[in-house]
This record gives sequence, structure tokens and C-alpha cells, in this order.
Amino acid sequence: MAEDKQADKVASSETVEKAAPEKTAKAAPAKAAKAPAPPDPRVEQAKQQGEAIKVAIEQKLGAGTVEEVIASKEVPILRIASAKWREAITFLRDDPEQRFDYIELFAGTDYKDYIEVVLYLHAMSRGTYISVKTRTPREQAVLPSLAPVFPGVNWEEREVFDLLGVTFEGHPDLRRIMMWDGWNGHPLRKDYSEFENMPQRGGEPRG
Amino acid sequence: MSTSLRTEEMILNVGPQHPSTHGVFRLVVTLDGEQIIDADPVVGYLHRGTEKLAEGLQYTQIIPYTDRLDYLAAMLNNYALVHTVEYALDLEIPARAEYLRVIVMELNRIASHLLFLGTYLLDLGAMSPFLYVFQERERIVQLFNEICGARLTYNYMRVGGVKWDAPPGWIEKVRDFIPFMREKVKMYDKLISGNEIFLHRVRGIGVITKEDALQYSLSGINLRSTGIAFDLRKNRPYSLYNQFEFDVVTGKNGDCFDRYYLHLEEIRQSLRIVEQAVAQIPEGPVLGKVPKLIRVPAGEYYRSIEGARGELGVYIVSDGKDKPYRLKLRRPSFVNLQILRKLLIGQSMANLIAILGAVDIVLGEVDA
Repeated sequence: MAEDKQADKVASSETVEKAAPEKTAKAAPAKAAKAPAPPDPRVEQAKQQGEAIKVAIEQKLGAGTVEEVIASKEVPILRIASAKWREAITFLRDDPEQRFDYIELFAGTDYKDYIEVVLYLHAMSRGTYISVKTRTPREQAVLPSLAPVFPGVNWEEREVFDLLGVTFEGHPDLRRIMMWDGWNGHPLRKDYSEFENMPQRGGEPRG
Repeated sequence: MSTSLRTEEMILNVGPQHPSTHGVFRLVVTLDGEQIIDADPVVGYLHRGTEKLAEGLQYTQIIPYTDRLDYLAAMLNNYALVHTVEYALDLEIPARAEYLRVIVMELNRIASHLLFLGTYLLDLGAMSPFLYVFQERERIVQLFNEICGARLTYNYMRVGGVKWDAPPGWIEKVRDFIPFMREKVKMYDKLISGNEIFLHRVRGIGVITKEDALQYSLSGINLRSTGIAFDLRKNRPYSLYNQFEFDVVTGKNGDCFDRYYLHLEEIRQSLRIVEQAVAQIPEGPVLGKVPKLIRVPAGEYYRSIEGARGELGVYIVSDGKDKPYRLKLRRPSFVNLQILRKLLIGQSMANLIAILGAVDIVLGEVDA
């Protein structure tokens, strides 16, 4: 059932691709004539780009790896299933068609229902960049670590672990980095309270 | 030859209060004699929770907090934030404001690189360059003082433009500064680049390969010293940078000498940009039409600029309110510093300062 849905999505994305060149051509004069909120051509284009990458990823790693394709202005955003996180990023780096070999941003956000980790990947050889993200539940916040494949995210993952409380499995050295070891709680979580989580004595680990 | 000499590893704490770490940075080094066999950088002493604080502040109120990140290049930090907000809002910036921004940003880059030259050579035992660079830096700082009333934490840029127009005669002063600075760069090149003692300390030391540079997400001079021509001013032009002529200078060997020399070279390129900007700057308003209360439309936005130390980015998640839901700062010093452990292992203790200095970190930015 799920696979059927996925197939539908792929099919619909193809139709979007075909229809899009006309759409963007129409959108430009519409914007000049101040039509009420015309569709942003940048977003449409970015979505197409994202769908193409999605097809490439799912060919390699199976359907359902990419859960959602959205876009923010000209940047395609792909949401990846957390179980395939490391495989998908490694694929994006090593595949000769993709070659997203440089991580620009590594960030985490607490959305109250779940925690999201976001990457901005840049392809040095082509100069394009995309965003990939994945979600993990707040209570059992666990994600596969990218540090074994990208040593440059080592500290970034430590920072997300420290401030947002996401455990990265397979990380070589997962310790707090900004706060000290005795700190209670994860400051960037939305339910964190400065007063409840204040350590009793400065620097002393709690028993 | 006695073989009964007792040998053991020694753990040495460099910092947190150490003059060569340029801030509060601790390095736990495990030594075998003179050789470093492990190094564990400990950061976080200067952590002020800027990202957390920003969640409770309006966008304009965050600007002074960005001054305190990389306090040697605060103009660039200001710009990184307002640029992301402007990008999210699709704002048009008045031409004069953009020119003023480019001028102050490039002047700030020069001031920051000058300070690098001075402190790096001071670390390596050369006292005089440190005293020399402060003379030129003082002129830039005075220019900033005239335009925004502050010498270090400028709080100069606003969403939609800049806070103050240049006072009368300011542009001419910048114009006069360019040939003066060019002469000084020539002098530093002659004074330092061929110095035998200096070359012995930095040539072939702390070599970064291209592959490592990409894997460790290095940016700025650390990346370009390996020969990868990646400069966001050229590769993903923002502001007016696609209108100016300048070169992206790259190194060949990726060693400390290349990183030193690129700083000097980038000062020259920045002077070229300032020269063109000063010649072209139009008259006009310096602050565009911006709503009193800036509300960023819901969504997520990431924009990055070429900071003095590398890719300086701001990632904003907005839920449509006047305060960011989440604000993440991509701090180049923090990301660049990770490679330090790899560079240090196997080196002699005497090279530690040469390598650490060349990575060029500012602790305010590392710890945010």
C-alpha cells in the first residue's frame, strides 16, 4: 500500500516536471501585473530539483527513504527517513551524479512534537546546494551519527547532543561541548527552564 | 647507554588562560617527550547561549549580540544576520546602503586580517609586527568610530540598510586610506614573507590536504590554502560582490605559510573592492522601507556570507512572529577548529602554537 502511494508520488512529480516550464513562463508576467500571491517560480523549480534527487536516492536505497520534498525559495529540502540517514548522506556524497561533498550547515531544531536535524549540502564541482533533514521523536531522540563518514560534523553533533539532547549512534566521542558535564537538561529544548535546571553549585556535577 | 631510563607520557594543559590561544581555550595535550601523541581541545568557556537568547529577541535586537561573536569582524556578523532576514523578506536595499555595507565589511576584513598577522607573528616570537599592525588597524577603527560611534562592537547594520549615513568627508578618508594601506602591505610582505626564521617555523607545517579540507567542512582561508577556490563572494554572490573585480586567491601546499600569505593577499583583494566601491558609491537613502515590526514569514532560511574566517551563516526557523523560533549560527571558527587534533598529532610541541595560530580562531565565535 505504501509502495503504491510512493509510486503515485513519483508519477505525479514527473507530470509536474513536464508542466513546469510553461508554468514558470506564465508566472513571471503575472507577478509583474500584481496578481494576488502568484506561485513563486523559484520554489517550483527547487521542488523539481528535489524530486529528481529523490528519484535517484530511492533507486539506490529503496522507496520510502525520502519522506517529503519541499522547498524554501530556491533551495530544495528533502526529508529523509531517520533509519536511512547515514546511507542517504553517504550516497549524496559518493554518487557521481550528485557529489554533494561539503557540509555547510548542521543544525537542530526542537519542534515540540519532534526534533529535526538539518544539513545544507554543497556540491563543490557544480556549485549547487540542497538541504536534507530528518526527524526523531523527542523522548527517544536517537539518530545515526554522520561523524564516521564526515569527520567535520563531529563537534556539530556534540553541540546538538549537548543543547538539544539527541544521541548520535556511532559517534566516536559523544560528550557535552558547550555546557559542562554536570549540567542538567538541554538548553535549546523548548520546555527547558533556566530556573528549574540551574545547577546547585557552579561546576559541580550533580550526584 | 642505559636503557633503564623511565619514560612515561605527560599530560600538559595549554590554557584555558594562555596568551597564545587568544581567548579562553584549553588544549589537553598528551606528550611523549617533545612529540604530541594526542590533543583534546576543550571549548565552551565563553559560551553565552547566543542562540538561546535570540529566541526571545526581535530581529533588530539580535544585531548587537552578533557583534560579540567574532568580535574582530563584527560588521560581517551584523551583515550575516540582516542579510538572512532580508533574504527571507525579499527586501530591496537602497544602493547607497549596500555600498556602505561593502565598504565597512571589507575594511573590517582588512582590520581582522591585520590583527591575525600581528598576533600570529607575536606567537612565533616576533614582537615588532604586532606593534606595526595596530597603527593601520587604528586608522580603520577610527573610521568605524566616525561612522557608527563604536570601535569594536558596531551594531551598525539594520534590516533594510544601515543605521547611519557616512559623515561628510568619510568617503574621502577611506579613499586616502587605500594607497596608504597598499604601501603597508608591500612593507609587510618585504618584512615578513622572506624572513628565514619565520619560514623555518611555518613552511611545511600543519599541512591540510584537499580531501581533509572538504571532509572537515573547512572554509575561508583554511580551505583556500589547500587550493580549492571557494569564496562565497564569487561562488554565491550576495550584496554587490558580482559587480566588483577581485580574485579568489588560493594556496598550493595547505601549510601554515600559505595560510599566512593568503591573509596578506586577501588584504590586497579587499583593498581593490573598497577602491571600486568608493569610486562608485551613489547618493541616496541608507535605510529602505521596512515595517516597524519585522515579521519573517513562516519557514526556514539559510544564507551564508564569506566572513573573515570562513563561511559565516545564519539559519532562521520562523513561525511568522517577530522573534525567531530558532536561530542557528554557522560559525566558521567552530567548524575550522575541529581539524586541529588531526594537525597536531605527531608534531612536536614547539609547532603547536604555529599550527593553532594559523587556523585563526576567535573564541567568541567558537563558543557563541
